[in-house]
Parts: sequence; C-alpha cells; structure tokens
Amino acid sequence: MRVLTRCIAAISMIIIVMLQTGRIDAAETGTGGVAQPADLSAFLHDIGKKASSFKTLKTEFIQEKKMVMFKKKLVMKGRIYLEKPNKIAWHVDSPVRYSVLITDKLIRQWDEDTNKVQEISLAKNPIFQNVLGQMTVWFSGEYGSLLDSNDVRIKKRNPLVIEFVPRDNNVSKKVIKSITITFRNDQNYLQQLRIQEISGDVTTINFLHTILNAPLTSKQFEVKGRV
Amino acid sequence: MFEKVFLLFQTIVRKHTKLVLAFVLLITALAGSALFFTHFEGNIDLMLPPDKEIARSMDFLRGSSFSDKVIVSIALTDPAKTKKDLFLAVDQLSASLTPPLFMKVVSGFSVANVMDEFSVLHYAPQVLGRQDLEAINGLINSKTVSQKMRGIYLQSMRPESVFTSSLSRADPLGIKMLLLEKMRALPASMGYDVAIEDGHFISRDGRHALMILQTSVAMMDSPRSKELIAALQGHIKELPGYVSADIICGHLHTVSNERVIKRDISIVSTIASVTFLLLFLMVFRDLRVLFIFIIPFIAIVWSIVLASAIEGKLLYMVIGLGTAIAGFSVDYGLHMFIALKRGVDSTQFVKLSRLITVSATTTMFSFLVLFFSKIQGYHQLALFSALCVFICLMIALFVLPIVLSHMKVIPVTDSSIDDKLTTIRWPVKTCIGVWGVLFCLALYSALSVTFDSDVKKLDGSDPGVLRAEQRFHNVWGGKTSQAIFVVTGKSLEDAMEVNDAVFHAAHNLVEKGEFTSLAQFWPSERLRKENSAHWDSFWRQGKELELKKLIRETSAAYQFSDSAFSPFFDGLYRHQAENAGSNGLIAQLQERFVLSKNGEYRILSYFPDEQNYIDSLTEITKKYPGTFVVSGKAMSASISSFTAKEIRILAPLAFLFNVVLAWLFFGDWKYTLIALVPLVTGIVWFVGIMSFLKIPLNVINIVASIVSTGVIVDYGLGITYQYRHRLRTGTIIAVTISAITNVIGTGALLFAKHPALHSTGVAMFICIITGYLSAILVVPPLCSLIDTEENR
Repeated sequence: MRVLTRCIAAISMIIIVMLQTGRIDAAETGTGGVAQPADLSAFLHDIGKKASSFKTLKTEFIQEKKMVMFKKKLVMKGRIYLEKPNKIAWHVDSPVRYSVLITDKLIRQWDEDTNKVQEISLAKNPIFQNVLGQMTVWFSGEYGSLLDSNDVRIKKRNPLVIEFVPRDNNVSKKVIKSITITFRNDQNYLQQLRIQEISGDVTTINFLHTILNAPLTSKQFEVKGRV
Repeated sequence: MFEKVFLLFQTIVRKHTKLVLAFVLLITALAGSALFFTHFEGNIDLMLPPDKEIARSMDFLRGSSFSDKVIVSIALTDPAKTKKDLFLAVDQLSASLTPPLFMKVVSGFSVANVMDEFSVLHYAPQVLGRQDLEAINGLINSKTVSQKMRGIYLQSMRPESVFTSSLSRADPLGIKMLLLEKMRALPASMGYDVAIEDGHFISRDGRHALMILQTSVAMMDSPRSKELIAALQGHIKELPGYVSADIICGHLHTVSNERVIKRDISIVSTIASVTFLLLFLMVFRDLRVLFIFIIPFIAIVWSIVLASAIEGKLLYMVIGLGTAIAGFSVDYGLHMFIALKRGVDSTQFVKLSRLITVSATTTMFSFLVLFFSKIQGYHQLALFSALCVFICLMIALFVLPIVLSHMKVIPVTDSSIDDKLTTIRWPVKTCIGVWGVLFCLALYSALSVTFDSDVKKLDGSDPGVLRAEQRFHNVWGGKTSQAIFVVTGKSLEDAMEVNDAVFHAAHNLVEKGEFTSLAQFWPSERLRKENSAHWDSFWRQGKELELKKLIRETSAAYQFSDSAFSPFFDGLYRHQAENAGSNGLIAQLQERFVLSKNGEYRILSYFPDEQNYIDSLTEITKKYPGTFVVSGKAMSASISSFTAKEIRILAPLAFLFNVVLAWLFFGDWKYTLIALVPLVTGIVWFVGIMSFLKIPLNVINIVASIVSTGVIVDYGLGITYQYRHRLRTGTIIAVTISAITNVIGTGALLFAKHPALHSTGVAMFICIITGYLSAILVVPPLCSLIDTEENR
C-alpha cells in the first residue's frame, strides 16, 4: 500500500498541474457583440460574492459527456451535497452507482462493481486534492480565487454566461480548451457547467432542483449504504 | 656535555644582553605583524587518516556537486497567507540570487513539460525491458482486456475523468502501472519528500517551499563561505515578513564551527589568562612574574608564524590546543624564576637547567612522536607544539635570567613553603598501597573503554544550525543517512552502461525500493535503444492486431468508438531513443545522479547506510572496476581501525622515548621507573575514568592524552630529581604551581562549547591531575624506599 501511495505521489507530479486553475483577468471587450464590463475583476468579484453566499448546497445533476472515446453520449444522473469549506459528496445513481466523498483530509469512494469502500488520505493524493479544489471553486461560486491564468469573457448577459480560457501559463491548457458557466436567472447559483477539452470531449453538467443552505445530514455524505 | 654547551651559550648571552633582548623584541614584533597575514584552516579534514578508502570518500564528497549546494526551506509564518504568497516569496528570492555566488537556482519544474517527457508512448518504449513486455503480454487476453474496458468506462463517470480520459485513450492496458514502478524513484531521487505545485517544490503540508541553490563556493572555503552565507541571509531579510527561511548547507557548518572555535578560544584564553595572573600575583606578590606569563605568548606568536611557513595553513584546532600548551610551557620560566628568587648557587642553577632541558625534551618528544603518524594534522600539532616548547625553553634558560637581572630581582631566603612541602613525610605503605589498588581498578576499568569513530560528533556547529536542520528534516524528511554507490566512466554513456549492470546486480541484494538509481528510470542510451527495438518487435509481431481484436470484442457493451484508442495505436512506433532534454525533469534529476569532474563521469546511486547493504554492495564493486561505495559508517569504521593501528605504534613509541630520556637523565633504572610513575598513572587513569564515566575515546582526546604525557612525565622527573639530588631550587613548589596552571589551562577547555576542544580539555584535565597527584603522593614514598634500601 505504501508503495502504491508513493507511486501515485510520483505520477501525481505529472498530473497535478493539469488540475490547476488560475484566476481571471479583466477582459477588455468580448466577442459576439456582448459588451464587457469595464472592470471585469470587480464584476466577477460581485458575481462570486452573490453566488457563494451559502453554507450548504444540495442539488441534482445530469451530466452529459460527449467523448471521442464513446460512440454515444454518456449521460449520468446523480446528486451533489456540498458543505463549506471542503466537504463534497458526489453520488452517481445511473447508469452505474458510484459515490465519492471528498473532505479536506480524505477521499472515500464506493462503486457498485466492487461494492467496496476505499479510503485514501488526501495528503497523499494530489489528484483528488486538486479535484476538490476545482469542485470547490466551481460549485461554491468562489470565483475570487480564479484571477491569474485564464482569459475571461462574458458570452451572454441574460442568463449570464462566462467563459474561462486557460492561458499559456496555465498548465491545464494542455487538457482544457475552455470552461463555460451559465448562471441561473437570479444569479445565485450555477445552472450549467460546460468543459470543453482539447481532445474534443465535452462535459456538460446541468444542475437541477438546487437548494442553497439546505439542512444536510451525515447520511448524505455516506458513500456506502446510501439510497 | 650539557654543562659545557649550556655554560658556553650562557656566557655568549651574558656578553650581549642588550643585543639578545633587542633580537627577542624585534622578532616578536615581526611575528606579531605577520599574524595579520596568516590564514588558518577551519575544517578538520587534516585530522582524518590518509587511508585510501577515506581519502577517496573525502575526495568524492569534496568534488561532488551536492557538497556545493545550498538548500533553502521557506516557511509561511502567517496563517492568513496562502501558497500563492509563498511562491511569490520564493520567486523574489530566486530572482535576487545571481552569479558569481549563486550559479543556479532550482525551485521547481514545469509539470506540463514533465507530462510529455513521461507520457506512456514516449517513455515506455525506452525504459520497459523484456520482463516488462512479458508482463504486458500477460495483459493481452480476453478477460483482462474486458476488465480494463469496464474500468475505463466506469472511470469516465467519475469527477476526475476530465483529467484522466485522455490518459486512458493513450493507454488502454494501463501500461502506466509498469512505468510507475520505474518512476517510483523520482520522488526518492529528489532526496526530499516534495510535491510540485505551480512549478514549485512544496511540502506535503503546503506551508513550506524548497529551493536548491548551486554555488561556486566550495564547502570548505571558509572566507567565501562566510561571504555566501552573509549574502544569502541578506537576501532572505528582504523577503516579506510572512515567511521565514532555514538555510541547510555544509558552508554553514564551516562558518559556524569556525565561529564557535574562535569564541571558545577567546573565552578559554581569557579565563586561563586572568586565573594565571591572579595565581602568580597572589603566590609571588611580585609584578615581575608577569614576564613568565608573557613567555608562552611570545612562543605561540613565533611558533604560529614559523609553523605556518613550514606547514602552510594551520588548523584552528592546532591553535586551540596551543592555548593548553601555553599552560605547559610556562613551567620552565616558573622553575627559573623560583630558583633565581631563592638565589641558588651556580652548581644548583646548572642542575636545574639540566632538569628543565630534559623536561622540555621529553615534552617535545611527546609531540614529535606525532610525526610518526600518517595524519597530516598531527604533524602540524607536533611541529607547532615542539616549537612552542623549544622557544619557551630557550627564553627561560637564557633570556629570563638577564631580564630578571636587569629588573634587579633580589634573592629571598624564605623558602618555607617549599621546605614544608619537601619535608612532608607521606605514609609510605599507605600511599603506595592506595595508589596500587586505585591503579589496578583504573586498569580494570580501562579494559572496557569504547572508541567513538563518528567524526560528526566533533562538529561544533551552533545549536541554531542544528535546530534548522531538525526543522528541515521534520518538514522534508531525508533524515535517514544515505550511503552512495559510485560508478565512474570516461564518458557518460560508459558510466551509465556500468550503472545499468550495477543496478540489476544490486536489485537482488538490496530490499526493493531501497536502492535509488538513475538506471531505474533512465537507463543508458544503449539499453534504451535495445528496449525500443524490443518494444517495436513485440507489437509488430501480432500483439497490436491481437489487442485491437480483443478491444473490439470486449468493448461492444460500452459503445467505445472505433477511434477510442487511436492515440495509443497511432503512437505505438513514433517513439525514438533520445537523450534527456536539458530543461526536462530527467535532466534536472541527473544533476543529483551524475557528476562530471576532470573529464570523468561519476554516477551515484543511493541506499540506506546500513552495514549489511554496505557489505553486499561492496561485493559488487569487486566485479566492476571503477566502482566504489561512499558510506559515513564505513568511513567511521576505517577511521576507528586506522586510529587503533596508529595508537598501537605511537603510544609505545612515546613511552619508549620517555623511558630512554629518563634513563639517560638518571643513569639508574630504579629512579627511571619511579620517574615514570606519573606518566603511567596519568594514562591508565585517563582511560579508566573515561571508561567508568562511559565517555568513549575519540581521535581528539587520544591525541590530547598523548600530548599530556609530555607534561606529566616532567612532574615525575622533577620530583624524582629533587629527591635524588636533594635540590633546594623550589622544584616541588614549581611543579605544584605548574600543575595548578596546567589544570587551569586545561580546565578552562571544559567550558568550551566545541566538542573537539571540550574533549581535549577532559583528556588533559584527567591526565594532569592524576599525574600530579601521583608525582606528589607516590614518587616521594617510592624514593624513600630506595633511600632506605641504600642506607642499609
């Protein structure tokens, strides 16, 4: 196990930067005729503040993955439970059942195939450490932390659609072409997250029935025995 | 013979008193000025044996780039600050460190480039050998491929799939798991437990960053090391207040050791000087005694310049010992002063001069015997000490009398203290009996003394330096000491080919993962080409088609597209064996594994410094010429064995010199043996007490004890001579005051913080106290036994 962990640590050095995201720089003008705010940084800060004013979150999601690897779209349905600052449970209900809990200390995952719970220390797994980082940023609305290594533009005002394109200094540029987020009409939370990869793969996550500050129980963060 | 020569010199000196005094003053002034231009050596390398293995290891360590590297660990001290703030501080420091002091700064590397460098289809063909291909062959079957396909399908559902699906397309079989085995050496090869984030080395707790600086300054270069450390500390001071930095390097040890030794010498000199002065003034109540006190200082100044002219840079350690030797050399002046104060007649004066000369000669021989040692540092010590003693003797015999006569010293007839000491009649049987019992106990205890050959324990670096290292190890690991297997070659490729063979041989001898070698993740070009050819041949001989067929058959249920794994199949033969790019991770890691010196390449592999591994791997060195093992433990063992061998020669030689000189002096074997009682007592008790107190002997305290024998033999000679010739020159009081001064001189060393100086103090303190007590309490009873026998 120790050897495996060290192996993962070694290879993680290679992968880790892929998971990095940068921050947003103020764009000057947009394309497609959408006027860009004069102070994009302040604009993002305001949006982020609005979209991050919750402690807990409960949402259903439908994830569509159009991957070069598959003939058809992969469609997954599931639920996400989030408790700030660093606790996320990601449950996939179909087509296969899979759950992962990521906290600031550990990753616990379960899948239907093996029916086993696997627990890994987060300190020894930079991949998940960064996945947690990514998820925290996108799902919690704290866009203030994305200020350096992405070109940002407003694609649409109503509903608000913002596109993040990794810059050359952002190592995720090797994998990600762009990330587009679409806000709900009230701009309190995301409606959709779309990730376009260099490989041509596109992942779209639509959030449904989102409840902010919903009361959450420990059961919702369990990865085994859930319903 | 002695009388003739002595009287001849005395006559000449008395004829030219002013000229002699002027000469002494002039030479002292010149030597004092020369001190400002004299350089000293801070490291104790010269104190190590010139054994072939040790010399090769020391030469290797000196020539290796890691001895010229400086590691800086930067910590976030403000909890509110983030990694980004930490990286800003690292980048600021990096930018400020420029040549000529800082040749290269490495604070991380780009993982994006590393991804290309280690991609399966680029890296695997070069590093996977026949055995690995057999393992791949074992994966190409319906069951395993089916499992792999399902695994990839399931992984696509997971959150991290955005980042991993492209890897799966280029590696449907999971060949990366075989590569991971090779790449396991990567973190270990850094030597620290590091992660990479945003192109920076960062600790697992995310609160520390690491920088590796390559400098042009050699670790042992004391003046430039000071310059280097001062410059680095200056740049660190300019960093924002929310970070602190620990510097880890050998240079800091050099600078710190020198500072500690200088501070010790200053404290010890002050304690010894003030105590000497007070003692002399209180006992003699005569300010002219100050001149005796000045004699050793004059001798030290002359000796430093003379010894430096002959030996080159003198070790600070040698100068440190000189402080104690100053205490010894004051004896001759002391004897003369007391005798002159007492107004002894010319016959007694000549006899006293003879005694002092023999005493000084035995002392000099105790030092000169160190010339028979192969250790160069001992030669410096021998020369410096012998010069000190000789100059003190000359000044005491010829200059002191004329100075005192110029000062109009009035002889005093009151010799009550000395007479009282002389007339004390110690109970003969009790003294000899108690001494005999204690001697036997000490001898018995001495049999179980231990020897500590770990020279690291003689490192006197400031506690702050050691605390910083402790903090560093807590954060970055790497505390386990590592030994190094070195392969040499005329070209890099030659060395790498041997290194491949050594790695395969070592693989079977050392526990898995304990032998970190470049061959593990980057073998020689020849082997990489061979591997590439095997890879191509493996896939071309039907395995490619077989795998494609199996994927088609087993992946239908998951709806994989026809091009799902095209990145893998399209890239199967695109690889080419190439050298590590100069900016890549492999090239950076090579710096830790490859050294180039004088047109020769050395490839290093690391393993735990444990005796069983050293023994096993030393066997491999016999099969491959030009390979050797560098191990701290092996070095310690060599030092231990070498020192033991030298002691077996030096100790009997020193003893023999003393016996011969004492016999020449007395012309009687009984008095010769009695005169040597303090010498034997001092040595046996020293070893016995060290053993009793469970303090191991080391190279330093052994030398110090040998040096002490030159002093304690004087006590035996003086007291025996006084009793035999019934001298009234104040020998007992002179020996007593001499012992007190010596105990003060060596006792002051007990306050030294530097372990080498402290160790010296302990050895000399024990030798001198026990030597003196036996001279006063055992020699007179033994002499009285002979008197009684002769009277019968």
